Amino acid sequence: MAGRFDYAQAEEIKVAFARFDVRYLFIGKSGAVLLGYPDTTQDADLFVEKSAENGQGCVGALRALGFELSEATEEEIRRGKDFVQLKNGPFDLDLVFAPDGIESFAVAWKNRVDTEGFPVCHPDDIIRSKEAAGRAKDIESLPRLRAFRDYWKAQR
Amino acid sequence: MVERVPSPDELCQWREEFEAAARRPLRIRMKYAFVKTYKPVLDDAPYRSFDTMADYRDWCQKNLPDWLGYGRTV
Repeated sequence: MAGRFDYAQAEEIKVAFARFDVRYLFIGKSGAVLLGYPDTTQDADLFVEKSAENGQGCVGALRALGFELSEATEEEIRRGKDFVQLKNGPFDLDLVFAPDGIESFAVAWKNRVDTEGFPVCHPDDIIRSKEAAGRAKDIESLPRLRAFRDYWKAQR
Repeated sequence: MVERVPSPDELCQWREEFEAAARRPLRIRMKYAFVKTYKPVLDDAPYRSFDTMADYRDWCQKNLPDWLGYGRTV
């Protein structure tokens, strides 16, 4: 089992994904944490633009980060399966190519927030995706996440 | 599961937590935020992929223990 995700690894993602020109956004609770949301989470979640070129770059970046990818896995990432869960690298990483509740990558990209160089989904989009997912753990966390969104907006 | 409405006291407490977090640098916030505990079934395979999010949600519903919270409520 990989260790817990940390700041240095987030930096490594930023550098590797930039090197391979990958368009992506932090999403989910990991994205909210980057924006200042105080809560706990286990994995990093990335919303990756679905295109062959971006998928190819993503494969290169993941290899550079130390993930072990089979040819079949590489092909699935290039193809952009909606959800890819990696637990075979230096940290656990979820790649989401079509998150629930978000119209398109282009829309999320337009709404994105840059925090210390990390591209992050807008809190409204993070909330929309959790509302649409409708999981028990999301329903529990939504009231506090919405309160954070309101606080975050008021500070800007 | 019905989403609950926070009390005014909870909202005040959360706001204090948000303000405290805003005073910490990102590196420290991340140190406190990311934890690692074993999640049965979910952590038992090095790789999974799903053609659609609906397939993933179905898989979670059918295969993960309820207490992990990955099951749908709607």
